[in-house]
Amino acid sequence: MGFLHQRRTLAPYLLLAPGMLWLAIFFLVPLGFLVYQSLQSGNIDFGYAFTWAWGNYWDAIKGYRGEFERSFEYAGLATVIALAVSYPVAYWIAFRGGRWKNLLLLFIVAPFFVTYLIRTLAWETILSDHGLVVRLLTDIHLVPSGGRVLATGTAVVAGITYNFLPFMALPLYVSLEQIDHSLVEAAEDLYANKWIAFLRVTFPLSLPGVVAGTLLTFIPAAGDFINAQLLGSPTTHMIGNVINSKFNELIDYPAAAAMSFILMAIILAMILVYARAVGTEKLTG
Amino acid sequence: MSLAFVRRHVLTVWSLLFFGYLLLPIAVVAAFSFNHPKGRFNYTWESFTWSNWTHWNAIPGIQSAVVLSLEIAVIASILATALGTLMALALVRYGFRGRGTTNFIVFLPLSTPEIVLGASLLTLFLNFNTPLGFWTILIAHVMFCVSFAVVTVKARLVGFDRHLEEAAMDLGANEWVTFRKVTLPLIAPAILAALLLCFAISVDDFVVTYFVAGPRVTFPIFVWGAARVATPPQINVIGIAFFVIAVTAMLGNVFFQNRRAVRA
Amino acid sequence: MSDSPERISRSVFLRRAAVSGSVLSVPGLLAACGGGGPAPGGSSTTVAQLAKTLHFSNWTLYIDKKGNRHPSLDQFQARYGVTVDYTEDINDNASFFSKIEPDLSRGQSTGRDIIVMTDNSRYPSLLVQKGWVEKLDKSVIPNISNLIPQQRHPSWDPNRDYSLPWQSGFTGIGWNANLTEPVTSMGELLGSKKLRGKVGLLTEFSDTLCLVMAYNGDDPSHITDKTFNRAITTIEKAVHSGQIRQFYGNDYASALANGDLTATMAWSGDIVQLHADNSHLQWQQPDTGGDIWTDNMLIPNGGNAYTASVFMNFVYEPKIAAEIEDYVNYVCPVLGAKAILLKKDPAIAKNTLIFPTTAMLDAAHTIDPEALNNEKYQTTWQNLISA
Repeated sequence: MGFLHQRRTLAPYLLLAPGMLWLAIFFLVPLGFLVYQSLQSGNIDFGYAFTWAWGNYWDAIKGYRGEFERSFEYAGLATVIALAVSYPVAYWIAFRGGRWKNLLLLFIVAPFFVTYLIRTLAWETILSDHGLVVRLLTDIHLVPSGGRVLATGTAVVAGITYNFLPFMALPLYVSLEQIDHSLVEAAEDLYANKWIAFLRVTFPLSLPGVVAGTLLTFIPAAGDFINAQLLGSPTTHMIGNVINSKFNELIDYPAAAAMSFILMAIILAMILVYARAVGTEKLTG
Repeated sequence: MSLAFVRRHVLTVWSLLFFGYLLLPIAVVAAFSFNHPKGRFNYTWESFTWSNWTHWNAIPGIQSAVVLSLEIAVIASILATALGTLMALALVRYGFRGRGTTNFIVFLPLSTPEIVLGASLLTLFLNFNTPLGFWTILIAHVMFCVSFAVVTVKARLVGFDRHLEEAAMDLGANEWVTFRKVTLPLIAPAILAALLLCFAISVDDFVVTYFVAGPRVTFPIFVWGAARVATPPQINVIGIAFFVIAVTAMLGNVFFQNRRAVRA
Repeated sequence: MSDSPERISRSVFLRRAAVSGSVLSVPGLLAACGGGGPAPGGSSTTVAQLAKTLHFSNWTLYIDKKGNRHPSLDQFQARYGVTVDYTEDINDNASFFSKIEPDLSRGQSTGRDIIVMTDNSRYPSLLVQKGWVEKLDKSVIPNISNLIPQQRHPSWDPNRDYSLPWQSGFTGIGWNANLTEPVTSMGELLGSKKLRGKVGLLTEFSDTLCLVMAYNGDDPSHITDKTFNRAITTIEKAVHSGQIRQFYGNDYASALANGDLTATMAWSGDIVQLHADNSHLQWQQPDTGGDIWTDNMLIPNGGNAYTASVFMNFVYEPKIAAEIEDYVNYVCPVLGAKAILLKKDPAIAKNTLIFPTTAMLDAAHTIDPEALNNEKYQTTWQNLISA
């Protein structure tokens, strides 16, 4: 690892100070305010007051359990699909890419440069009921005739998967790329079977990438509301939609704050469980 | 056809399909940026025209939105990369009390859904009566970009060959000179990568910005508003323009890196 | 119908303001005598000055447009030297209000001089009640006499002290004639199997509830818990059966045009505007009645009431109103515009969706204003459309 300055020095603290200060003031403190607000009660007409309103939390869970569950379901599905779809490609680039590795990586990242909203709107056009794609799918009976793809849970999951693919593919690639090829070759010789060599050697070595990728995909996906809004229907709403409406339509800040906090807490809990199962250094590096 | 042949090409075919899938919406966006829609809506092909590109700012508000997004992205990415690089240096080079906690705190924003980030920042600003606008957007963008910058620079620092620094110091250079002349140039690619990453993330951000923007309109917010009625082709134009510029920049970077590798 | 008042010149404004206002300050009198430039703005009661820029937030496609410009706004600038910073950032009453609420509740300026909110949402009356809007400077709005009689005394602003209508509109049913026979009843919209999954409802509480309640045989202008729950149940049934594709704001129009929706609740003006390029789009009031709403210009606190009032007077000139109406195609609140359009663009003048008949006006319901402020109702509604 090289030398680390072990002697007591102010240097690290000085280096950290500006960044940490920024994060403290604009990330940690706001979270504190969020908790504070979640314990308020009131409404826009008469104002809000701090009343230790733990009821907000209970109401959020009770009233919106369906949306919470659906969010994690959609995010989970999207993550698994993204993993399944991206892993072979990351492998292909890492092991077969050769000189073209960087270029191919570029192709993965490039779509990301078109604004998120524009990409999702493009899917709205592509999957529209009378468009080519749906007509094709109806012809080959993947979609029942007269049916639709948009305004279904499938479309929402497809949208989420698409939008977060780079988040899954890139970490996978990074960890696959670092694997020493001689190790793999040795394993293939030993096991005389490429598939077993992969399972026993390559895949375990790529786990840090899998962990990073799944986290980077699942977490933002769980809180997303744009895909559900543009591609979904009233029966496919995620918790992000509810939080958005409570903040920006109903102006019911306490309820929205409570919900946001629950979402974050659940995600953190999932991460901790995940990290324990996989080993924490892979998490935070 | 041997199994190996099939296996070899399955991966390739899969990957090509993957790229096709990835680029399909982009192709659609690009195609419709040249469309000349009959009425308000841009969803069926009518006729080809350059006019959306030559008159990209024909839609009122689109130019100021683009300009604002770019301004914020430039300033935020520079600030975030600066802060992030300093933090990365501290985290990798030094062992100190609280290192684990610091790592965790840096990681937290990445694990927080954007809606929570936006909502909590809004709460903060409301409580301090801060007028929402340019500065609140900037603050928010720097905040969520810092973590990305730290992670990017850290990755490079971790794999950094210390011997070069040691050699420099053996030759008589002090710490600051070593940093300036040896370390900094060698981590420059990572800093550049962090800058680009932060820029891309900032330009694209919608959810957090939506919460804290107040009356100001960035490009994603403009798209959201336009999408409620009908997206004019100019939106496609701007989207593709960003794409082309970014891809060109990255291609240039790739090309440049390959040349450097060849030379080294 | 009154005849059109003259264009009022700047010096006349100032003289009138000085004389008719509650001002007998020296600067005011001096200005009145001199008939020249405005007095320096010492106390707030002296003669006001036009601002350099007027910040006007409005809904989309709600003002005349020619290419990249708005001719009426250009004319305003030519006449008064005031640039109009026109932003189409209102998509939805609730979300727009949530944008300006933080500033208003903290006594800060929203950066806007004129905003436009619909009276079938709670916000216009909420704004007036909370004192978050400025009073109009009626001394510079002589054209207020051109306001159609039905709009002169709304319950939430009985003397029109704080607002003036911009446009009104009907909510009804729009359908795609290429894909279906005319859809004329809410029953069809909510239940017809032929439309399954291709029906849209509106996110606006008042619009959807008015129409559904009327369909249920209840009176939307007097809502009780029973009638409210009945309406919600009707809608929920339609949602769960898969009949309703989505709840829409402005964006139903593109879905209707491209065929993702076959029929939907729709606003009259939208369909008229769209009809030009998309003749397959039709609109009708439901047989059990639609609703009518009015978008009102309001001046949020911190806005320049004087300049805003001058602007309001300007758009209440029949000639200007006619120009705006020619493009916007909603229901015009200004007397005299129809006469002008009969000569300029008879098709518009005769369109009953823009200049409605008494029968149409009678068939349109309005929502119970109490229900708008009922927190339980609003939360139930939001849960339905976004959860």
